[in-house]
Parts: sequence; C-alpha cells; structure tokens
Amino acid sequence: MTIEDFLLHDLYALLISTEQHHNFERLKEGITQVLTIINKKHQPWLSGQDLLDDALQNKHFLPTGCRSIDAFLHGGLREGYLTELVGTSSSGKTQICLQAASAVAKSWGKVVFLDSGNSFSPKRVAQIVNQTSDLSSYEVDEAFQQVMNNIVCLSVFDIFTLFEVIHQLKHNLRSQIDQHIRMLIIDSISSLITPILGGGGAHGHALMVSVGFLLKRLAHEHDISILVTNHMVAGERGTSKPALGVSWRSIPHVRLLLSRDHIRNISCMSILRHPHMATGDRVEFELQ
Amino acid sequence: MEVSSLPISASQRAKLISAGYTTLSSLFSVSHSDIARDLEISENEALEILRVASQRRGSERSDGTSSIVNGAQSAWEMLNDEESLGRITTSCSELDDILGGGISCKEVTEIGGVPGIGKTQLGIQLAVNVQIPMDYGGLQGKAIYIDTEGSFMVERVLQIAEACFEDMRGYHGFLKRDLQTCQLNMQPKDFLENIIYFRVCSYTEQIAVVNYLEKFISEHKDVKVVIIDSITFHFRQDFDDMALRTRLLGGMALKLMKLAKKFTLAVVLLNQVTTKYTEGQYQLTLALGDSWSHSCTNRVILYWNGNERYAYIDKSPSVRSAAAPYAVTGRGIRSSVSNCKRVKMM
Repeated sequence: MTIEDFLLHDLYALLISTEQHHNFERLKEGITQVLTIINKKHQPWLSGQDLLDDALQNKHFLPTGCRSIDAFLHGGLREGYLTELVGTSSSGKTQICLQAASAVAKSWGKVVFLDSGNSFSPKRVAQIVNQTSDLSSYEVDEAFQQVMNNIVCLSVFDIFTLFEVIHQLKHNLRSQIDQHIRMLIIDSISSLITPILGGGGAHGHALMVSVGFLLKRLAHEHDISILVTNHMVAGERGTSKPALGVSWRSIPHVRLLLSRDHIRNISCMSILRHPHMATGDRVEFELQ
Repeated sequence: MEVSSLPISASQRAKLISAGYTTLSSLFSVSHSDIARDLEISENEALEILRVASQRRGSERSDGTSSIVNGAQSAWEMLNDEESLGRITTSCSELDDILGGGISCKEVTEIGGVPGIGKTQLGIQLAVNVQIPMDYGGLQGKAIYIDTEGSFMVERVLQIAEACFEDMRGYHGFLKRDLQTCQLNMQPKDFLENIIYFRVCSYTEQIAVVNYLEKFISEHKDVKVVIIDSITFHFRQDFDDMALRTRLLGGMALKLMKLAKKFTLAVVLLNQVTTKYTEGQYQLTLALGDSWSHSCTNRVILYWNGNERYAYIDKSPSVRSAAAPYAVTGRGIRSSVSNCKRVKMM
C-alpha cells in the first residue's frame, strides 16, 4: 500500500479492499490509525457567534495617529487584519507607519517595526510622541522612555530573514503570553519581494504568497494588526500601479492607496479593497 | 518550518521537496549521506543544506527571553545611538541645515540633478570632508569612491582638499588661544591617500564591486562614506529587459542599505535625470524609474533657479521638505549667500 493509495482512493473502499490481504487485521489497524491522525489535524470549528465574540472582544481598532484617517476607517487599523498601504515615493507611507507606531506604543502596547529601507527614524518618532503628549513635564521623561521602549525595530534586507523573523515571532508569542504585540509593521514589504519575482520560475511567487499567508495567520491567531507598505511602479501610458500586482492583490484584508498633492501639501487616502467599505471612498488629511 | 523558505538554490529545493523532505524536522532525522543519496547530490552539497537548515533552527530555538525578536533594538536605544551618530558636512551651511546637520551615517542618500549642476563636485567634497579630524568636528574616516562615468578628476580633488586644509588651518589659528594641544597633523596629500577609488566599466562590474564592498569594509573599518558616481550610468544602456534591471537595482539597493546599517557609514548615490510623461506633460525626474525611487532613505534633487544652484529635499523620513541655495566655487561646495570663505565646522 502506498501514500498514493491514501490520497487517491476513498479510505473506506480501501479498508474493504484490504480484506483480501493475508494480514488484513494489521493493515486495518494501520489505516484507522492514519485516519485518526488525519482527523486530528483539522482546526476546531467555530460558529458565527464564536467568531463575532472573538471579533468584538479581541480584535480592537488601533489608532493611526491621525484623527481624520481613524474616523474614515471606523476607528483605525484592526487587529487580526493585514492592512496594506500603496503609494508612490514620498507619498507619506513611512510617515503613516511611524505615526501609527507612536500612537499604538503610547496607549496600547508593543509594536514591532521591520525596516527594509533604513527608513525608521527614531528622531521622528520622538518628535511625534512629544507632539501629541499631554502629560505634565514631570511625568513626560519616564512615560516617553516607556513609549520608546515599546517600539522594537529590526532591519530586514532579504526575504529569508523575514521568514526567520516571522517564525521567531510565532514561536515567542506562543511561549510567552505576557509579551503581547499589538502591531507589526513591515516597511516596505515590496522591496523585499520584488528582487525575487520574475526571472522565470514560480518560486518567487510561491514565497510571496507564503509570506502573505504566514502574516495573516499571525495576525489572526495573536490578535495583531499588521501594516505593510507596497510601492508603485510605472504601468502603461504613464500611469502607475502597485509593485506587487495581481497575485498579491487578494492577500491583504485592507488595501489603501495614498497620494499626495505636493503643492497644497495635502495627502489623500482612498480605498482599493476593504471588507465592509466601498471601493473608491476617500479622505483628505494633512501630515504634520 | 518548511523547506521552501530556506535560502538554498531553487534546484536543491525542488529536489528536497520531491524526495519528501518538506519540513525542517524531516531533515534532522536523517544523516547527510542519506540526503545525498535521496537527492542524488554530492555529500558536500548535502552537508551545506544541513548547515543552512540547522542555522535556521538555531535561531528559532535561541529565544532571548527579554526580546521578542533576536537582534532587534527598541526605539529608545536607537534614539540614544542616533544622537552619537556623526554627520558629514557638505561645506555649505544652508545645505547642512536642511539636511539636519549634514549627510547622515547609517543611511542611503541619493543626490540627483541635471548635467553640470555639481553632483560630482558634491561627491568629491564629501569624500574630502569625511576625513576632517574629530578635533574639528569631523568623522576622521576614509572614503570609497566608485566611479562609473570616469568623471573623477584628481587635480580637482587636490584643489578641494587644499581649500579644506586651509580652512582647517584658519580654524586652528582661531582655536589656538584656548586649545594648545590641538595639532593639525594632516597634509593636503593625505586627503588623496584616504580616498579609495574603484573604476567600474560595466554594470556587471558595478554589481561585483557592491558585492565585494562588505568584505572590503569589514577589513577597513575606518571607511565612513561610500560614494557611487553615478549609480545610473551603466544601467541606462544595454538593457532590453527592464524587469531584470529593476530586480538587479532592487537587490543592489538592499545590499547598500545593509552596508550603511552594519558599518555605520553613509552611502551617497549620485543619479542622473530623465524626462517622464505624466498627466499630459513632460517632467524632469531622477532616472531609473519609480521602483528605484523607493530604494533610498533620503533623496536630494539639485536644480537651477535662475542663476543660482538649489538643493531640494525630496524625501526623508526625519526632516521636512525644504530647499536651500549652494554654490560651486574653485574651493569646492560653499554657501552661495555670502560666498563665504570658511568651511563651517560643526
């Protein structure tokens, strides 16, 4: 009997067919054993009520640090969601990441920032934290240090390091319950993935999809809000399109497009994909 | 953890998976000779695969109880580190001001502009200024200059070095009253000594040099700036496959960023301009496309405003967009307002 038999045939038919075999008792035992192992593999089923309870209790909306965006997104970036920011160079993607990191670190908890472009600026974070501070000056120093300690940053320069970090996170979150991470930011995920795409072979695609899958799973199981950024490349006739294209499009829960009017110094966010908001809804806001 | 996320070659990966080794734990239950036999590869190759896999597993196991992710730093630590971080002055105080004190270490800065605006001049100036001794507020480091266009003029370097030396001596005289011990034991020729020059004649050579830099700098730790003049030149010709170009550039950018971070040095990339057709009109932008524009931490655009040269911060995570005038003089890059004779010391 081969693995192929297990995969291709109806297992009960297989069971009956063993009866002609000389030591069918042992084979039968083996098959039932395999069956129970397979059955144990599936995740426990959940009812809609369970899911709703989980969503209401554990999946909070985290602030982005910008009031108009929070209002626009019905509260902000949701835990359990993979949110993606798409935008051209200097459209404010990193700024939103830094603002969200500061806001979450301030009132919610730990933030992990994976930086692939040396764009994490602690000075800018300090600026944002101090700007929005409303504590008395006596408390400020200690509270400020606490907030800054809540943000953990790591430089990641290739996709394999990213895999390693995700696995580490998963492992550490399982074993240490007190280390609750609220938000994971990857700025930018596209610069890690684009070098491995193309050049023949579907391997790059496989890696991209598995990164997305691992991130979504991490977000759901540990109630983390994940924020990634994706850049834009030139498309047809002078238009621009996201660097991670068609096969990535379906992975994030929420996709937000950023654009910026440099003359008026106003940024604009519009929805490309959202579970319960209409595509094309937009909001204008100002970055400090 | 799965075999598909291991950093090994695609053919090895395919062989592993088709032989039934899909998870890391499946690899550790067998010996390397088993793997070599099952995959029909040499024993050395099998050993190499096992080494990579055990490295990966080692990092998974060693959970430092305090940190969530190995090797990560908190923003607080980074802020304290950054305050001690040096910056390289551009010799133009207005330009330094909008850059937040000069070209910063640990970051990749791209500088672009039309021909004749002074990109190479700025590059040479930085290669000289990085050597200003610590007593004078400099970094006292060495410079690596990667020349792809052949525009590096050694006489000009000497000229700029002499001017910088004179400025330092003037500054020294000024300081002498309170600081007797401070000795200027550098000669203009020493500046040339400390610039390490690579001439690159094709894009393959350029990639090779960038790959080699990590090894080179780990042997020469006093290198504080890497200047590539220009990053663009070889990538703008002989390229039919634009997707390949984007991938090569993306990979190179990641390597340069890693260098900047790992060795606490500044990477300065000079770039050319191109025209881009957007919304019905042609506009000047920096070359190499949209994808490339994400690869740099900072982006400075040099342009003409009437008869004056201006620099504009197009992109930076820490300072706001701003413009400042500068001038290219016989003595190098200087402030344009006063045409001032003295280099600004920090």
